[in-house]
Amino acid sequence: MNPDQAAQAAQLPRRIIKETQKLLSEPAPGISASPSEENLRYFNVMILGPQQSPYEGGVFKLELFLPEDYPMAPPKVRFLTKIYHPNIDKLGRICLDILKDKWSPALQIRTVLLSIQALLSAPNPDDPLAEHVAKHWKENEKEAIATARQWTAMHAQG
Amino acid sequence: MSDDSEEFRSGSEDEEMSDYGASDADMDVEDDDDDYGFAGAEEVSTVPKVPYKVLPKEDLNKQREKALREVMDVLGIDEDTAMRVLRKYKWDSSRVQEEWFSKYDQVRESLGLVDEPGPSGRAACEAEERCFICFDSFPVRDMRSAACRHYFCKDCWRGYITQALSSGPACLDLRCPSTECKQKACVPCALVMELASGEEQSKYSTYMVRSFVEDNSSMCWCTGKNCENAIQCLVDRGPDEAMDVICSCSATFCFNCKEEAHRPVSCKTVKTWLTKNSAESENMNWILANTKPCPKCSRPIEKNQGCMHMTCSQCRFEFCWLCQGDWKEHGERTGGFYACNRFETAKKKGEYDDESRRRENAKASLERYMHYFERFDAHSKAREKARLDASKVSKDWLEQLADITKTPTSQLKFINEAWNQIVECRRMLKWTYAYGYYAFEDADRNSEVARHKGFFEFLQGDAERSLERLHEAAEKDLGAHVTKARNQADGGFDADAFQTFRKNLIGLTDVTAGFFDKLVKQLEKGFSSMEADYAGQVDDGAGPSGVNEGGEQAAGAAGGPAATGTTGHKGRRSKKARGVDEDVVLLGEQGFWTCNKCTYNNQDLTARRCEVCNEARAGPGGGAGNRR
Repeated sequence: MNPDQAAQAAQLPRRIIKETQKLLSEPAPGISASPSEENLRYFNVMILGPQQSPYEGGVFKLELFLPEDYPMAPPKVRFLTKIYHPNIDKLGRICLDILKDKWSPALQIRTVLLSIQALLSAPNPDDPLAEHVAKHWKENEKEAIATARQWTAMHAQG
Repeated sequence: MSDDSEEFRSGSEDEEMSDYGASDADMDVEDDDDDYGFAGAEEVSTVPKVPYKVLPKEDLNKQREKALREVMDVLGIDEDTAMRVLRKYKWDSSRVQEEWFSKYDQVRESLGLVDEPGPSGRAACEAEERCFICFDSFPVRDMRSAACRHYFCKDCWRGYITQALSSGPACLDLRCPSTECKQKACVPCALVMELASGEEQSKYSTYMVRSFVEDNSSMCWCTGKNCENAIQCLVDRGPDEAMDVICSCSATFCFNCKEEAHRPVSCKTVKTWLTKNSAESENMNWILANTKPCPKCSRPIEKNQGCMHMTCSQCRFEFCWLCQGDWKEHGERTGGFYACNRFETAKKKGEYDDESRRRENAKASLERYMHYFERFDAHSKAREKARLDASKVSKDWLEQLADITKTPTSQLKFINEAWNQIVECRRMLKWTYAYGYYAFEDADRNSEVARHKGFFEFLQGDAERSLERLHEAAEKDLGAHVTKARNQADGGFDADAFQTFRKNLIGLTDVTAGFFDKLVKQLEKGFSSMEADYAGQVDDGAGPSGVNEGGEQAAGAAGGPAATGTTGHKGRRSKKARGVDEDVVLLGEQGFWTCNKCTYNNQDLTARRCEVCNEARAGPGGGAGNRR
C-alpha cells in the first residue's frame, strides 16, 4: 500500500476496509474484485461466466462503487463488458432486487457479486430491464441463448 | 320564454327531483303554501344523508384511536402490533378479527411478529460482540435487536432507520436487517423511537397517522388546497365506483379517482377524457387533417386561403396544392388556378384516395372532438366564474340586500341556493359532454345509438336551457335589483318586484334541479333499457307490436314536443296509455307539432313535412306509420 492509499484508507469506514481485505484474501470462486488505486471505494470486478450458461467461457468486467452512505445504501454496480441478458441493459445496468429496494446493510460486496453471478445462470425475462432481449428470451429461448453465446464469444473473450 | 309556466308545472310533478342542490326543506318560505305552484315541493324529503363524513384533524385522531383501541381490546395485543395488523388489512377491523382468529400463525408470520424467547439477560452484559453491519465490536449491552435477537450496534441501527425513514411510509414495516433473519422480524416502534432523532420521530408518527387514511379503503384526504380534513366513506362502494364528496372547505371531488366531482360520468370516462384533452395527439390530428407536407422539404403547410399555387415559406418551392407537383407544370392547361386536372385524373384512377380519405376521417373526428371539447371547456369556465360570483354574492350582496329589504339574511338563502345550483349544474353539464363524446361514437353507423344520442341531447338541451335561464336570472335580475335598491336609498325599495323575483328564482332553481336530476339518472341508468321502458308504456295501450313501436315512440319523445319530455313519468305514461288516436287530439290542444330532426315547433298541424328542414313528419298524421 502506497502512502496515498494509506491516507485514503484512514478515512474509510472499518467495514469497507475489512470487506476489501477479505475479498482480496479469500476471493469467491469465479469472482475477483480489487479496489482502484485512486479511489478505494471504486472496485474493478471480473466475473467468469458460470458453467452451463450461455456466458460460459466469458470473462465479464464490471465496476462497483460504494457510495458515501454505504452500507446503509446499496453499492452501485454496472457491467462494462457487453452482454446479452434480459436483466442487463445495453449500458450495463443491472436489474436486481438487492441492488434496490431489497438491499440490507447486512449484505456485502461479496454477496452482491455472488447474486450477479447467479443472475447470469438464471436470467429472469419476466422482470426485464432490456425489453427486446426479454421478449426474444420469452418467444424463442433457444435462439436468444444462441445470441447470448455469440455475444459472449464476441465481447467477453480474448 | 313562453313555456316557462309549462315547465314550472312539470317540475313540480317530478317527484324524484332534487337529490342534490336546492333543498326544499331549507327553502323556508314563510308566507304562502301554494307559492309558485309548487304543490309537490313539500313532499320532497330533506337533503339525503350524505354517504360520507368530513373528519377534521381532531376527529380523525379520535377515530384512529378508537379503531386501535377496539382491536387491542378484542385481540389482546399491544398498540404496535395492532397498528401492524390494522395496516395489513387496510384498517378493516372486522376483517382483522376474522383473519387473526382463523389464521393466527400466518398473520403473525406475514407481519414479522416473533415471540421473544424469554429475557436475554444482555442488559448488563459487559462482553463484546461484533456488529455485522460495521464489523466493529461493542459491549453487548450497547447493542439492539428486534425480537429475533439479531444484534447490531446503535449507530448502525440509527443509520438503518434514517435510511428507511427517508424512503417513505414503507418505513412503518421495517424489518430486521440481518440476512440470516428467516422470520424477517419487524423492528418494534419503540426501537425506532429510541434511536431516531426528534425530527425523525415526528416523521414516523406522521406516517402512522397518515396510514389511517392512506391505507384505509374507506378514507381519503381532501384534495382541497391546504385542507387537512379527511373524508370517510360510510357506505360500501363497488370497485371504481365514483362518489362525489364536498368537504367542509368547499372542495368538491370524486372519492374514487380524486378528480373534480363528475357525477354522473364514470371515473374511467373522466380519465380518458382528461388524458385526451392534455394529449398532443389532438394537435397531431389537426396537422394531419389540415396540412400537407411540402413536397420538397416536408414541413407541414396549412392552406388557409387563396389558389392552389403554393409557395413553401421555408424552402420557396412552388407547387400545386392538389397534386403536389411542381407548379411549373401547371397553369391554364391543367385547369387554371383553382383546379388541377392532373389531380382529378389521378383521383379517378384511385391514386389519391387513401390519403385523402384518411385526411377526411381525421378532420371529421377532430371536428367531433372540438364540438364536445368547446362545450366542456365553456361550461368549465362558466362554472369557475359562477363560483367566484357566488362567493361574491354571498359575501357582499346578501348583507346589503338584507339591509335594503329589511329581511334577515336567513330569508335570502334562496339566492345562495340558486347560485349553488348553478355551480353544481355547470359542473354536471360539463361532464355530460365528456360522456357524450364517448357514449355515442357509433351514432353514424348504428340507428339505435343514434336514437339514444337524440334522447340524450334532448335531456341535455332541456337541462342546459333551464340552467341558462337560472343563471341569467341570478346574475342579471339580482344585479338589477341590487343596483336599483342602492340608487333609491331607503324607502324606495320595490317589495313587490322583489317578491316576484324571489318566486321566479326559487322556481327556476327547482326546475333546473329537476331537469338535471332526470339527466343524471338517465346517464347513470344508461340508455340500453330506454327502448324497453318505452315499449312497456306503449304495450299498455297499443298491443303486441309494442316493441318496435316503442322504438319509434322513444325517438318521438326524444325530439318531441317539450311537454312529453318535461312532464313527470306519470304524466307521460297516462298520455301514452291513451293510445295513438288521442295523441292527435293532444297535438291539437298543444297547437303545434315538433319536428324530430330539427325540433322546430310547426304551427301547421296538417303539414306532412317540417317547415324548416323539410323532414317528413313522424308520428300521427306524418309518415312514420307508413315507414315500417
